[in-house]
Amino acid sequence: MPLPEGVYGLMAEFETPTQLVRAAEAAHGAGYRRMDCYTPYPVEEAAAAIGFHRDEVSLVCLIGGLLGLAAMFSLETWISVWAYPVNIAGRPYYSWPAFVVPAYEWTILWAGLSAAFGMLALCGLPKPYHPVFNAPNFRNGATSDKFFLCLESTDPKFDAVETRSFLEAQAPLSVVEVEY
Amino acid sequence: MASDSFSKGLTSTTGTPPFVDLWRRSALRAGLVFAILAVILALLGQKFDQPALGWDHVVRGWLHGFMICFGFCFGAMALLMTQYLSGGKWGLIIRRPLEAMTRTWPLVVLFWFPIALLGASFGKLYIWARYDNWRDALQKGLITIDQAHAIHWKQPMLNVTSFYVVSLVCFAIFALYVTLLNSWSVKRDADPEPNVARWRTKFENLSGFGVVLYAVLLFVLVIYFVMSLDPTWYSTVYGFQFLVGQAYGVLALSILTLIALSKAEPIKSTFRIVEQHDLGKLCFAFVMLNMYLAFASFLIIWSGNSPEEIPWYLDRIRGNWGVIATLDVIFHWVIPFSLLLSRDLKRIKSRLVLVCCIMIFARMWDMFWLIEPNFRDAARNLHFSWGILEYIAVPGALVSFWLVYYFTELKRRPLIATNDPHLTEILEHDYAHA
Repeated sequence: MPLPEGVYGLMAEFETPTQLVRAAEAAHGAGYRRMDCYTPYPVEEAAAAIGFHRDEVSLVCLIGGLLGLAAMFSLETWISVWAYPVNIAGRPYYSWPAFVVPAYEWTILWAGLSAAFGMLALCGLPKPYHPVFNAPNFRNGATSDKFFLCLESTDPKFDAVETRSFLEAQAPLSVVEVEY
Repeated sequence: MASDSFSKGLTSTTGTPPFVDLWRRSALRAGLVFAILAVILALLGQKFDQPALGWDHVVRGWLHGFMICFGFCFGAMALLMTQYLSGGKWGLIIRRPLEAMTRTWPLVVLFWFPIALLGASFGKLYIWARYDNWRDALQKGLITIDQAHAIHWKQPMLNVTSFYVVSLVCFAIFALYVTLLNSWSVKRDADPEPNVARWRTKFENLSGFGVVLYAVLLFVLVIYFVMSLDPTWYSTVYGFQFLVGQAYGVLALSILTLIALSKAEPIKSTFRIVEQHDLGKLCFAFVMLNMYLAFASFLIIWSGNSPEEIPWYLDRIRGNWGVIATLDVIFHWVIPFSLLLSRDLKRIKSRLVLVCCIMIFARMWDMFWLIEPNFRDAARNLHFSWGILEYIAVPGALVSFWLVYYFTELKRRPLIATNDPHLTEILEHDYAHA
């Protein structure tokens, strides 16, 4: 696959998260959809501003948990009832109360692992290359004290001139073009 | 960092909206209907039930209703102290409803008197009180040898005098705490900066010791009120189960109160989705903790399978009681747990209301399962009688009358505690604090 060329998007840099959130809201209101916010710490409001979308992590987590539960409960049942039936103080082989704790542990373990790895997979991580790092001011600010909004060129509404003037109207510190 | 245009001012009306009067009237009406129903059922029970336990069932139902009201009132006190210790905006928003719940303590003490008088003094509930002459009762075959043994050895604790003394001392201590927590709260609101930090420390010091003291005294009281219905059995996790169960019920009631109040100011603009979500998460935690304790106690006793402990569970599983026990797990854990997993559900008021109602219903269901199988006519033998319906009628009446008092107390103070650093935060829009 050939590498895409040209402009990845236009990136505006803001001094405060409030400015970022307002700009993101304005962009969403103006009809932009392919965009992302980059902040040095989690800003939930920014996620909401660009149209918080559902992801499948919770579903992956639920399925993982249920699989863990089923796996351990069946394993215990198989061991105690068929593979190695042992008479323990006259209790029935199928003693479900005793199976609950390990089954519960596996539910938690599988749910946790599925959530963590599911999140990584659905985020497309690990990602060794991302175009936003081509912006010279991004490396300095994005991990310390600056807030970025990037409107991407794949958005049908994107237009090199209009989008730039839109972003400049949001009172950013700067607007830079990001190359692929 | 949020600019001014993001925050809303506290509305001038911090008082209770007028529809609380309507609630009060409906609760009063419901209480009267349940009370009449209780009397009718008792008469039917006396006439048609074999054995005729109509009025006995009223006392048992009374104990049930008393324990639920006790849990709402003093459980609220425990949660109130906990939120002073933990801090957080969820605590600020439920503070006034919790305070109103705690101020109902005189009614709870009033509800206690019939238990003490009929249950202990006349021995209608507690066999250690009825057969304190255990030798005689054993000879007549009224109690088993195990029961006689337990009554004999536990006599220093389980006797009518100490029942009265311990209960009244505990109530006096609780009343002192409730009074302090409530009066300081008013004084704190009238004493703004720079004294906020001093008040915070004061509340923390009072609550830190108070929470521990409450946990200990609650354990003693539930031994007297509920566990000693079967003097042969004991469990070291019993008090803690009640403590968690109370928080479970109180949280559900607080959320219901806030959601109902959120139709009007001041709660409309201060009860944000964020805090609602937090309270929902806290409910989820208590659903989990409650099940954890209940199952741990069951698993340990089931594994030990010793003749001193297992009959307590057999009384509550055999003879159709298994249906009640299974439904108890479903109401208490399966339904709230599955529903509260959802993020959306915790953020949608109408759905959260449903879960909270199920949670309070589950508390009452569980209390029925704890109390009724202690009695000889019901142990391992769940059967229909007119009397057993008293577990709906009497607690229904008691809780309704308790609610009347609660709503009255709710009206007596502004619904938001104003002198708290969190106040400016809850006055902001949901997503303002960027």
